[in-house]
Amino acid sequence: MAERNAPKHATYLFGRRDFLRLGSGAVALLAEGTLARKAFAGRTSPRPRARNILLIFTDQQHIETIAAGGCPHVRTPSLDRLVRSGVSFTQSYTANPVCSPARSAVLTGRTSCETGVYVNGRAIRSDIPNLGQWFSQQADHQTVYAGKWHLPRSYSSKIPGFEVINTGIGGFGYLCDAAVSRACEGFLRNRSRSRPFLMMASFMQPHDICEWLRLNMQNPGQLRYGELAGKLPELPDNFDFDKSEPQAVKQRRLGNEPAKGAWSKEHWRYYRWSYYRNIENLDAEIGRILQALEVYGYLEDTLIALTSDHGEGMAHHQMVRKNTLYNEAARVPLIFSWPGHIQRSRIDSAHLVSGLDIMPTLCDYAGIGPPQDMRGVSLRPILEGKSTPGRDFIITEVQANTGRMVRTNRYKYVTYIDEPRQQLFDMKGDPGETRNLAADARHASVVADHQKLLYEWESRLDVARRVPHRDAWRDNA
Amino acid sequence: MAKKKASRTIVGSPLTPSLLGELDALGELPSTPRDFKPDGNWVNKYRIWTCHGYRESGNENVGFVRIERVSDSDKVFTLKVRQHVTQTDGIVNVVDAIIECRKNRLASPTKWQVSSRFMEADGQDVPKLASKQNGGSAVGADRVTCDWGLFEAVQRLAFHEQSSLSFDLLEGLSLSKLRHNLSYRGVYSEKIPGSRILHCFVQLGSGILPAEYWLDEDHRLLLVCSMNKAYILDDQAPEVIQSKT
Repeated sequence: MAERNAPKHATYLFGRRDFLRLGSGAVALLAEGTLARKAFAGRTSPRPRARNILLIFTDQQHIETIAAGGCPHVRTPSLDRLVRSGVSFTQSYTANPVCSPARSAVLTGRTSCETGVYVNGRAIRSDIPNLGQWFSQQADHQTVYAGKWHLPRSYSSKIPGFEVINTGIGGFGYLCDAAVSRACEGFLRNRSRSRPFLMMASFMQPHDICEWLRLNMQNPGQLRYGELAGKLPELPDNFDFDKSEPQAVKQRRLGNEPAKGAWSKEHWRYYRWSYYRNIENLDAEIGRILQALEVYGYLEDTLIALTSDHGEGMAHHQMVRKNTLYNEAARVPLIFSWPGHIQRSRIDSAHLVSGLDIMPTLCDYAGIGPPQDMRGVSLRPILEGKSTPGRDFIITEVQANTGRMVRTNRYKYVTYIDEPRQQLFDMKGDPGETRNLAADARHASVVADHQKLLYEWESRLDVARRVPHRDAWRDNA
Repeated sequence: MAKKKASRTIVGSPLTPSLLGELDALGELPSTPRDFKPDGNWVNKYRIWTCHGYRESGNENVGFVRIERVSDSDKVFTLKVRQHVTQTDGIVNVVDAIIECRKNRLASPTKWQVSSRFMEADGQDVPKLASKQNGGSAVGADRVTCDWGLFEAVQRLAFHEQSSLSFDLLEGLSLSKLRHNLSYRGVYSEKIPGSRILHCFVQLGSGILPAEYWLDEDHRLLLVCSMNKAYILDDQAPEVIQSKT
């Protein structure tokens, strides 16, 4: 069912040729008759185009898990290679720190409340094209998908706009990801070069930490493998947490395994050690694809982007998993690489960027315009070293459309529906988010300024009808 | 949905043979043939069983691995491997490998052929996703082994506290994972069908979660548990998996 009110006099653009180029995914869209002309407002760009595009999606990857980015606890030669060959962002935020909502935002350039994917296991609303549908229609790319989808099913052999070359196995990244990278390798080995490709390699790791948590919930009392005692990573500086957090945050902590299992600090450290091993497992599988790109001659004419749907608590604030707005869950890796075009080995900490930016950026590099109503922007000027001030703020949604984060260059403001306690952190002076300034009268104007930004942002959105609290943010902000 | 979630019990502790028994992952494990010799000719078949972390749901057999050891010269032996892993919607990834291994403690691979192919739910091959790789190790690669080689090498290790291996892992003969160690952990009486005395070795290293190798008194590898997956010796494993798909 269409979630959006089509304009009264909407016209539909499709002739037979469009129909053929859109493929099976578009058939479903057309059947519902909801794709208005303005949704397909593509245009061409005179700038150099990346012939091929590879988008690598990881699952639940904390941003500080790459050796080349400064993490001393992991060996990540493949991720290092991407970092060194391109631009990686440190102020990169997910549009929603939960799997399906975040994925819907990356794949459409629209917020999760707009796509209708406000919780896991929902489909993207039918009048918003995903990346594969858009590239199929606007460009001549062969669009293929391997791995986790989660919109709505975690794995599916039928994904609109894409040819699925492998599905995956829910919850078992170690086995699933090997098949994902092998499918990508096989695809690159055997394909005809007549058309460019858009390939999605959507890995499950390091999400296996969720199974780890369930299989290690009980505090064992002593380390299962004593030889690791001197090798476990330390706890983070912000391991302690603010006892007066909003209820929505407290409940997340209490509902997770560490609280249920009364973990010792050593067990927390073992959890962190285990998570890093999952990262290394992921890195190896990414390496298989990078090697295939090289062996089969695609490396020079393929733009590679890598991001994650959300981060991981990693013991910061004594959190695990996601679905909070602390930086550990809300920030995600975002790397772009294209030899000779994107700057090499640059770590960008100056710009606030979002998962919403990926769709317009990939469209820009493919030489096609993005769909209308993009909420993100093309990062191409930043990636190519052009002087640009970037955006002033980022909005991230959370917890079934009940929470919002406004991140400006200096501050992070967090608010929840029906929750009197808000959060405001000075991200320059307190990057660990340990001192909540929201109730401090000296920061009242800062809070008000952020609320105004939120109001203005929300007033522009076309929120899907099925989303709960659909109008609440316009009223409350 | 909420009711279903509320009724699930978190497993809470790492997989062990006894816990696999509790979770109904094990039948009675095959008894070891009298003439079984770790350095002889043999075939071991393992079900690949995965655990979502709940006792009641989400745990299933997703594949198998069959390893055949052929001892055909004084200096090398051959491992023939077939691994099936079933993906969602019935897609199957099949990996075949023929590995010539040095007769050292690590079963270091010297030459190999590895192929990967995919099958649709109806059993049809998907040629456009197939890949093949022929490889060989450099001189002096005696510190290297592969994951399938470890299934062989661990069976030749003595059961005592100083028994250990240090190596770099070439997983699937393609992914490099450095600085691994496999060491003897002890002997345990595990409550499994046909209650057994089992010996345990533990593998630690980069790019993997700890793996526990469980062997019987005859040095036959019965189980490998690593985080949320277990390889379970089962002579019927290929039939069980292929009938499922």
